Amino acid sequence: MSAVDPTEIFRQEAEELLEQLEQALLDLEHAEDGRELVDGAFRALHTIKGSGAMFGFEQVAAFTHEFETAFDRVRKEHLAPSRELVAVALAAKDHIRALIEQAETADAAAGDAIIQELRRVTDDGGAEIDEAPAVEPVADQTGTTTWRIRFHLAQDALVTGTKPLLLLDELRSLGTCTVTGLADAVPPLEELEPEALYLGWEAILATSHPREAIDEVFMFVLDDMKLEVERLDAPPAAGPSADPAPAPSPVGEAEAAEPDLSTVPVVVPLAAPEKTRREADAGKTTNSIRVPAERLDQLMDRVGELVIVQARLSQLAASGADTALKSIAEEIERLANELRDTTMNVRMVPIGSLFGRFRRLVHDLSRDLGKQIDLVTSGEETELDKTVVERLADPLVHLIRNSIDHGIEPPSTRLAAGKPMRGQVRLEARHAGTEVLIAITDDGKGLDRDRIRAKAEEQGLLAPGLKLSDNELYQYLFHPGFSTAREVTAVSGRGVGMDVVKRLIEALRGTIDMATTPGRGTTITLRLPLTLAIIDGLLVRIGQDRYIIPLTAVEECVELSAAEDGRSAGRSFLSIRGDLVPFLRLREVLGSNSPPDPHQKVIVVSTGELRVGLVVDQVIGNHQTVIKSLSRLHADVDTFSGATILGDGSVALILDIAQAVELGHAQADRQRAS
Amino acid sequence: MSKVILTVDDSASIRMMLKMTLTGAGYQVSEAANGVEGLAKAQEKPAHLVFTDLNMPVMDGLTFIRELRKLPAYRGVPILFLTTESDGEMKRQAKEAGATGWLVKPFQQDQLLSVVKKVLGA
Amino acid sequence: MSELQSTGKPIIDGPIEALTFALQGEVFAIEAGLVREILDLVPVTQVPGARPFVGGIINVRGSIVPLADLRLRFGMEPTRPTIDTRIIVIDVPLDGEACTVGLLADKVFEVTEIAASSIEETPRVGMRWQPEFIRCIGKRRDDFVIIPDIEQLFS
Repeated sequence: MSAVDPTEIFRQEAEELLEQLEQALLDLEHAEDGRELVDGAFRALHTIKGSGAMFGFEQVAAFTHEFETAFDRVRKEHLAPSRELVAVALAAKDHIRALIEQAETADAAAGDAIIQELRRVTDDGGAEIDEAPAVEPVADQTGTTTWRIRFHLAQDALVTGTKPLLLLDELRSLGTCTVTGLADAVPPLEELEPEALYLGWEAILATSHPREAIDEVFMFVLDDMKLEVERLDAPPAAGPSADPAPAPSPVGEAEAAEPDLSTVPVVVPLAAPEKTRREADAGKTTNSIRVPAERLDQLMDRVGELVIVQARLSQLAASGADTALKSIAEEIERLANELRDTTMNVRMVPIGSLFGRFRRLVHDLSRDLGKQIDLVTSGEETELDKTVVERLADPLVHLIRNSIDHGIEPPSTRLAAGKPMRGQVRLEARHAGTEVLIAITDDGKGLDRDRIRAKAEEQGLLAPGLKLSDNELYQYLFHPGFSTAREVTAVSGRGVGMDVVKRLIEALRGTIDMATTPGRGTTITLRLPLTLAIIDGLLVRIGQDRYIIPLTAVEECVELSAAEDGRSAGRSFLSIRGDLVPFLRLREVLGSNSPPDPHQKVIVVSTGELRVGLVVDQVIGNHQTVIKSLSRLHADVDTFSGATILGDGSVALILDIAQAVELGHAQADRQRAS
Repeated sequence: MSKVILTVDDSASIRMMLKMTLTGAGYQVSEAANGVEGLAKAQEKPAHLVFTDLNMPVMDGLTFIRELRKLPAYRGVPILFLTTESDGEMKRQAKEAGATGWLVKPFQQDQLLSVVKKVLGA
Repeated sequence: MSELQSTGKPIIDGPIEALTFALQGEVFAIEAGLVREILDLVPVTQVPGARPFVGGIINVRGSIVPLADLRLRFGMEPTRPTIDTRIIVIDVPLDGEACTVGLLADKVFEVTEIAASSIEETPRVGMRWQPEFIRCIGKRRDDFVIIPDIEQLFS
C-alpha cells in the first residue's frame, strides 16, 4: 500500500476550495442577495487558513487570514460586493493558489498589494488587525503556594461529557493534593435525577505552579461552574474540612506531582465567524474517497482483459458438451458484465466539473474584449468517462473562445441590431442513447456563408459554382489554416485552429457539427461516446474476414436479395421501405477478393448527418468488448478506429464508419473518373 | 482495548492529521465528513470521545452535537469542537448544544494529545 | 550490448549477439537485445489500407501487434508459410519510443555471436536486397549474414 502524503491531501483539498471560492465570487457579481455566497466564500477561506497552518503553509495561512479579515467586513456590514471587489478577490484567490503551488516564486510584494487593494475596496480605516500573541502559561519558579479550591460544576456537567474525576486527577498532577467530596447539594432520593451532578469537591493543593494553572484545569467548564480559589498561608491540618454528611466519595490521598501541563491549547482571539448553513454543491457526494487516476486505469485494464478471456471461456463452453461448464461460464459472463458496468461507472464524472472552469474564462475574456457575455450552462450532471472529460477541456475552451471572440458582437453593435446588450454563450450537455451531446451555442452574428465560400474557393478547396449543402460548406472551416476571421486577435489567435479541435474530438471517437443562423447565432454540437474503453459492436463477416461495426451507429439490418443486388449494380442507392438509402459494398472498400455470399446483408448506419447502408456477407452477432488501439505502424490507416480480440483469440478490426464512407466515396469518384 | 475516538470534519487534511496523531498514540479512530455521517458512525462504532468541526456542510457542528447528545449512549461522552478562534459566543453556543470542550486550530500534535488526555484520562 | 545507431551507417564495433534466421534463402541477424519472443505462426488478420509490408496484425497475449513481412519491404513477392515459419517479436525504436512488431521468418536458427572481424560494409553492387535497408554484413560459419537496419525499415 502506498503511503499517502498529507501535504498532497491539503493541496487537493485547497484546490477544490479555491475552485468553490472562485465560483462563489463569480456568482457574487450577478447575485441579488449575496449573503449566502459571501458566507460560502468565507467558509472556504476559513478552512484553507486553518488547514494551511496545520500543514506548514504559513504564508498561505497568513495571506488568507488577511483576505478573510477583509471579507469579514463585507459579511458583517452586508456590503454590496462591487465588481472591483470581486476582481480583487479573484486576484487574491489566484495568489493563494500561487503560494500553494510555487511558494518560492510567489511574489510577496504582489500579495501585499492585493491585500492593500482589498482593504481599500472594503473601506477599511487602515487599521492592522494583528493576531494576539499566543498566551503561554508561565511557570512559577518562586516556590510552593497552598490553595483551597472549592467547586461545584453545572448540573448537566456529566451529560455534557465532563469527568470530574479527571479534573481532580489534573489538580493532583499540579502538586500535593487532598480532596474531599461535598454532598451538601444532593437532594432527597425522590427528587434525585439520575444523570444530574449534585456533588461538589474541595481540594487543598500545594503547588509551585501559578494560579493560572488551576484555571487551566477548569478551562472548559469555567463559565458554568462555581469555583472558589483561596490562597492559604499555611497548609491546614490534614483531614477533610467541615462537612456535615458523610462524604459519599472519599477521594484518596495526594500523589506525587506529575507536571504535564507544559503545553496547553493556545488561545488566539480573532474575529468570530457567523454560523451559517451552506447548501451542498451540485454533484458533491457526502460519502466518497479519493482514488489516484492511475489506479482506475489499471482497474479498467484488468476488467477489460477479464472480459476478453471470459468471452473465450463462453465460446469454449458453448462448443463443448459439458453442461456444468456451460452453466459456470454463463454465471461468469453475468458477473463479468456486472463488473464491467460497475467499473465503467466508477470512471464516470459529471461534466459540470469542466463547466466551472469556463465561467472564469468567459468572465476574463469578455472583460478583456470589452464585451458583456453571460455563460449559461445546463446538464452539468451529465456523466462521461473521466478521460473523455479531461480531453474535452482544450477543444471546448477553444470553441468558447471562438464564440466570444468572433461570434458575439460588441455591445454597441448588438444594440444597433436590436439585440440585448449582453451576449450569451450556452453550454448544454445531455445523454442521447449511448452518446453524450454537448452543444455550444452563442447568440452572436452567426457564420457568414458567403465569406466561407469565398475563402474556400480562394484557397482552391472548392470549385466555384459547385453546389454544396450548408453543412458541407461549414466543414471547410475545419480545414487546416482556414480562418475567416478578419483580425487575428490576441485571444483566439490563429494557432489552435478548428482543424485541431476536430482532430481532438475525432480522437475521442466523436463528431462535430455546426449549425448557424446569420445574425442570430451559431451552435456547435459535439457527439461523444460514453466511454473510450469498451465498445458495443456488431460482428460481421466480409469474405473470410471479420469486422466490428459500432452498435451505436447501427439503425437496422436488412437483407439484400440477389435480385436487388443485381439491380443495384452500377447504382449507389437502395430502396428500403420506400426510402432511398445510399449504400457501400464494404467488400469493395476493404478490398476483399473472395466471392460474395448469395444473400448479403445491409446494415443501415447513421453517424451525425450521415446515413448509409453497409453491405456485408454475414451478420454474426452482437459483441461487446474492450477496444485495443492499433500500433503506431498503422497510424496511417484511418478506416479503423481500433481492434478487438474475439472469443477465439483472433483479431477483428473496428470500422470507423465516417472514414470508411469517405474512402468509399473517394474510390467511387476515382472509378467514375477513369 | 484501546479507546475509540470519532473525528467529524469536512476537511480531509484535518481528519488525516487527527487520525495520524491519534492512532500513533494508540487510539482507534473512526471518521466522518459531516454531521449526518457523524451520527451514523457514532452509532455504528461507539466512541469514547468525539472531535467535531463546527463549519460543515449538510449538517453543521452545533446541530450534530445536539443530535449526538440525544443518543443515550452518548450522554456523558466528551465532545470536543475544533475552532480557529476562542470567541466566547461560539464557545457558549457549542457548550449550550452540549459540547464538553474545544481545541483551537491550528494545533500541534502534542496539544491534541494533551486535550485528549484531559478529557479522557491517561 | 551495442546501441542502435539512429543515423548513418557506422560499422558496429565489437562482436554482436544476434538471433539469426532465414528469409528467402538468405540468413539475417537481429540484435538479440531487440527480440522479445519467438512465436509459431498464429492467425493473421489483414488490415486493408495498411502499407503492404505491415499488412497484418496478430494477437500476442492480448496486445495487437503488427506483422511485418520484410520481403515486401524489399520489394519481393511473399511466399506461403511452411511448418518452419516463425514470428519474431521485436521492439523497434520509432520516433524515440519502442514499438512492438512481429517479423515473419522462414526459419529461425539460433542466437549466436557474429564476430567483429567478419563485419564488413555492405557492397553497393551485387546485392539482392536494397542497401539502404541494410546496416552491414557479417559472417556466421560459412554463410554471409545480413544485418538489416531495423530503424530504417520501419521509419
